[in-house]
Amino acid sequence: MSKHMIYLHPTPVRIWHWLNALGIVTLCLTGAQIRFPEYLNIFGNYRTAVLLHNTAGLVVAISFSLWFFYYTLGSRKITQLYVPGVDDLKRGVLRQAFFYFFLYFFGCPNPHHATPDSKFNPMQKSAYLAIMFVLVPLVSLTGILLMNVSPLRELVIMAGGLKLLVGLHFLMACSLCAFLFTHVYLTTLGHTPLAHTKSMWTGWEEEEDHGEEAEKVHQAKPLADPALVRVKASS
Amino acid sequence: MNTIKIPLIVALIGMLAIAAGNVGAGEAASATSGYSYGDTTDKNGNCLSCHGDVGKVGKKMFIDPVKYTHTNHARIGCPACHDAVISGHAGSGMTTAKTGCRQCHDDIDVEYARSSHAGKTDCNGCHDPHRVAAPTEISGQDINRMCATCHDTYEISASHGKWLPQADLHIEMLPCITCHTGSKNYVINLYIIKRQEGVRFGKFDLASYGELKKEAGGRDILSLIDTNGDGYVSLDELRNFNRNPQYKELRLQGMMTPEQVTHSFQILDNRRNCTFCHASGPSAMQTSTVAIPEANGTFRKVAVEKGAVLDALYATPNFYMLGGTRNAMLNKIGLVIIAGGMVMPVGHGFLRFLSRNIRNRREDRHE
Repeated sequence: MSKHMIYLHPTPVRIWHWLNALGIVTLCLTGAQIRFPEYLNIFGNYRTAVLLHNTAGLVVAISFSLWFFYYTLGSRKITQLYVPGVDDLKRGVLRQAFFYFFLYFFGCPNPHHATPDSKFNPMQKSAYLAIMFVLVPLVSLTGILLMNVSPLRELVIMAGGLKLLVGLHFLMACSLCAFLFTHVYLTTLGHTPLAHTKSMWTGWEEEEDHGEEAEKVHQAKPLADPALVRVKASS
Repeated sequence: MNTIKIPLIVALIGMLAIAAGNVGAGEAASATSGYSYGDTTDKNGNCLSCHGDVGKVGKKMFIDPVKYTHTNHARIGCPACHDAVISGHAGSGMTTAKTGCRQCHDDIDVEYARSSHAGKTDCNGCHDPHRVAAPTEISGQDINRMCATCHDTYEISASHGKWLPQADLHIEMLPCITCHTGSKNYVINLYIIKRQEGVRFGKFDLASYGELKKEAGGRDILSLIDTNGDGYVSLDELRNFNRNPQYKELRLQGMMTPEQVTHSFQILDNRRNCTFCHASGPSAMQTSTVAIPEANGTFRKVAVEKGAVLDALYATPNFYMLGGTRNAMLNKIGLVIIAGGMVMPVGHGFLRFLSRNIRNRREDRHE
């Protein structure tokens, strides 16, 4: 069995990812203290929690904008990477779900092999589409409005009022928090528990070939740039 | 029993004697001033016949009869404070002697003397005795306007902005006395505000009695919200008011005001600690009232169903205090969502653990 090293995550994407990770974890913890101050005091006092929450929120919102412009204007891959195609929706999602919830437990190989042009499996694409195009923009927008209630009061009223914004912000934040648990768990499903985390840190993903089935996938989806692939070892 | 009765009787006789003495002294004062204050039903009539007419006495000496009649001061009458006024004082250039507020409000005077305002201004600096109303009868906006006569709004905003997140919002939503007096318990007063006319994105101002009376078609203003007329505002009535497109130019603005107003003006360190308000929890946010403007410039407070500001959406759509007014149902939904996120790690992780031998065997075969 040979092992390929694929350069999967370019430096800007990795910086963005870890900045986001830090930001979202900070937002979840500060948000919990802001909502339940009589039960939680993680950051010393309420004011610090609010200021940290606002800062982390701005960092995530700006980082989201950079990510969006990088993929739409810079690499022009946003649709290819994040929007599931017809085949993904018809067969890909089911095939991937069948793998995760059944075949995985029998040691079968993952039907999806990540390449720089197809980093995400159909389930990931659908989840990221909802998260990156609905949840993160909405949670950022509601957050920006809630940070500036007095100057943006008219927009707050037009959006349905403060309570609606707070409710949406809270529920979407809970959804992001839920995603975080699932996301972190799924990163442990690589060929080693830390393989995907390492790859997000170094950019290089180690991939194993699993016989004929894997070969077919590779032939069907050739890598965009052979220079980004190096054979590590063979056995 | 006798030991109790005797002092009571003595006390009663004593009180009657003092009261009789006061009446006598009052009559003597009137007699010496040579000025008639009228009978009890219209005892201020003589004074107001001139001072209630701006044309006769000018703006400076004018007393609005509607606002004055509502005050407790009107009940005790003009001579209670202006006992040295003589007949024919009009046009004489004579300055009328005034009684100091402390003669009746001694307790407040003592409290005020210990506050940071002492020596900066006297009672008249904030209160006009001819239009003064009980603390519960004035709006938070009126209180802040009163403070703004000395404290420049921009300076206040800038000094608070140095340490207080969303300083402008706090200043707008709280009467200054909520933080700057030593009051302990608070209530949420909901004031009806109205968008400035003719401006689509105009700011909202406190709606006047006249504007709301017109909006209510001449009926009691409370009927705009209290549709069943029981003098009590339920959550459903609040929601209906807020969702009614007919009232889209009207909003309810919540202000957290002290339950008991004091004159102990000071900068309190515990108010700088946000948890004083924000960690008070939903239990402290149960009581609220709707403030209805009256013709005499005061406000009538009408009780609202308990927990209105904790409603998820429509009871008070624009009043939210971080940490304090969180909705219990939303908390539960949020918890379910987060628990949903744990299903994959826990459920899949458990099956993964159980199937570890099968997977390892398969991997060994590949290698």
